[in-house]
Amino acid sequence: MALSLPPGLTHAEVSFLAEMETVTIVPRQRLDSIDLLSGKTPSLRPPHRVDLSLWLALLLKKQRRANIVPPPWLHPASLSEIVQRETKENPTAFSEPPPVPSRPNIHQPGIAARQNNNETVQLSPPFQASCTADAPAGYLPYHWMEVAEMLLTFAGDDMISLGSAGEIRGLLRDLTEVRAAKMRDSTKTLGADGENVGGVVSLRGVGAMELAENRGFILGVVDGMRRIGASVEATRREQEEEMGGPGGGGGGGGRGDDGDDDSDEDMGI
Amino acid sequence: MDIDDILREVDPTFHSIPKEKQDLQELTRAWIAERSAPELLPWPPNGLFERINDNIKSQIEKVEEMTGDMDPRTNFALIVIQTELERYKYLVRSYLRARIAKIDKHTLHYLSTDNLRSRLSEMELAYATRHQALLHNHYLSSFLSSFPPQLQNLNDAAGINMVETPDLDAAVFIRLLKDVFVEGRGVDSDVTMDGRESDIVILRWSDAKPLVEAGQAELV
Amino acid sequence: MSYYDIDAILTDAEKIPCTFQLDIPDLGYLDNTPSQPLKAGTKVNLPLWLAEMLVIANTGAADNKTFVTFDLPRALGNDVVQALKADPRAVPLRDQSAHFYGLATHMLDLSEEQELGSVLRKTFVTRAAEISLHARKVGSIGHKAKSKGEGASEMGSNLGLGGAGEEFLRGLDEWERSLFRKAHEGAKAGKDWIESVKKN
Repeated sequence: MALSLPPGLTHAEVSFLAEMETVTIVPRQRLDSIDLLSGKTPSLRPPHRVDLSLWLALLLKKQRRANIVPPPWLHPASLSEIVQRETKENPTAFSEPPPVPSRPNIHQPGIAARQNNNETVQLSPPFQASCTADAPAGYLPYHWMEVAEMLLTFAGDDMISLGSAGEIRGLLRDLTEVRAAKMRDSTKTLGADGENVGGVVSLRGVGAMELAENRGFILGVVDGMRRIGASVEATRREQEEEMGGPGGGGGGGGRGDDGDDDSDEDMGI
Repeated sequence: MDIDDILREVDPTFHSIPKEKQDLQELTRAWIAERSAPELLPWPPNGLFERINDNIKSQIEKVEEMTGDMDPRTNFALIVIQTELERYKYLVRSYLRARIAKIDKHTLHYLSTDNLRSRLSEMELAYATRHQALLHNHYLSSFLSSFPPQLQNLNDAAGINMVETPDLDAAVFIRLLKDVFVEGRGVDSDVTMDGRESDIVILRWSDAKPLVEAGQAELV
Repeated sequence: MSYYDIDAILTDAEKIPCTFQLDIPDLGYLDNTPSQPLKAGTKVNLPLWLAEMLVIANTGAADNKTFVTFDLPRALGNDVVQALKADPRAVPLRDQSAHFYGLATHMLDLSEEQELGSVLRKTFVTRAAEISLHARKVGSIGHKAKSKGEGASEMGSNLGLGGAGEEFLRGLDEWERSLFRKAHEGAKAGKDWIESVKKN
């Protein structure tokens, strides 16, 4: 049967995705390696820490077979630092996403850009291990909201070492609110002046749940602006064509794009 | 843990990602992309989907073998294996259903050219063709045949084309996987953004598509 | 434009004030004078789909005359535009047309109304921000109403937002209603998800 959902992942799907994040656990019981579709699990030998998928960690936790090590960014000190940054230092942008882990050919930056064969698949969240014990503090991973919620709900006692659950939840709530306001403002910048609507909006640092919640609305506004502006845009393209290529004439503030004209698909009505 | 595994983990120059994890990353990426893109995307290359499907099948067989075994310790392993199996099945199913939904919505469009047809897997192509034939026969027998002959077409392109197509200029969210220039057409200006890896960007799908196809960005 | 889009079809039925530029035989019934030619200069309200065709169609006349000229419909007239300039949120667009923006984009295609375009864009964005605020509020109020056993609130009716909010939402056109729905569903899905984690 077909799946007729609007474009973009739903909250439940995002939550499913977040369960693939990697976390660190301290086993309480021995468990031999298990041959899974995603590869062999590490064998568990208390008290040696290992990294594995959040869904598996939660399963072990429910069975009291392991404790989960809180990711450093969930520490109250880290969270309040981020709240501080999001409210005071940079009240208009989201704070930086975690730094990308180093890649094989990081020493040869010239080649790094070229290398795109099938040998190495580039990992992105939730496969980037930004929730393990050695992930950096002070950065919110893409799945911060879901991972925090699940850890606090299912492994609350393991998070106590960080501080009181109330304190952490309070900070998370502050963060959610300040970021929700930024999310709302992002559509205002799409041409509240009614004058200059460019083609690219960056939301660097935004989280997966935040996207799920606002996607329909934001895309609705962007698409609406495009449709209202379609005739203006068509006229502008005609003029630029006459002036000898895009960017040649009164194209406004943006830098002209240098894509070849022939491949330009007709915007139409 | 195997001594090789330990050595691999401590060796900083050996970063290779296990094949299983690569496959999971790629399937997940394909799923998210299909759930987010306004049009049907090409069927995954390099036998990715078939490989995963085969693995799922053999895992199911393994579960059946293990079910006879009542040792409580392997029993927990079984729970883990089954939980993971369900997760894979969910991914695969949701991916296929998202594709079918798009094929159903714009069947005639995706069957209209060889280029578009090549995006469908063999099974999908068979499904789309048969489903369309069934629908057409049903329409014919229930009402189309009572229309004047010149009004019986379902693919008339005079005036507004009856064959609906996805809106390729619909906006999408992408994440940059490389430092790359992002060109986006806008109403008042066309912008080139000096994008950084991990940037999350809103732009038209028609502008995002080349980046996604080149592996420089992924849909989110 | 898609063939089976109901909103597009309804938008095409909106009436546009047109003035005929030529005498047309046998069309007098459009002006309540059957069996007479329709005189040049007669003003008739025509549905958008017809007006569009007649504006674009070539009459073959030497002076390049078109069949009709058109004026902006009242929904996009000067009064409305001035009111939108003053405060986009204060104008109930739905009273002008349920397909306000759909109609407007058609008219922008037909005429080079630069100013109208920029007023509309500012209107859309400003009202969208307001819509998003209300969509969240309704979510929380809907929740309370539910717990009191009053049933979920339906948008545009018993929102319990107080006069101004309810009035604003009643005045949304179809594009805006769709935005409201999306914003509301997003906010609601977020709350539902948190609940579902707790229940697990």
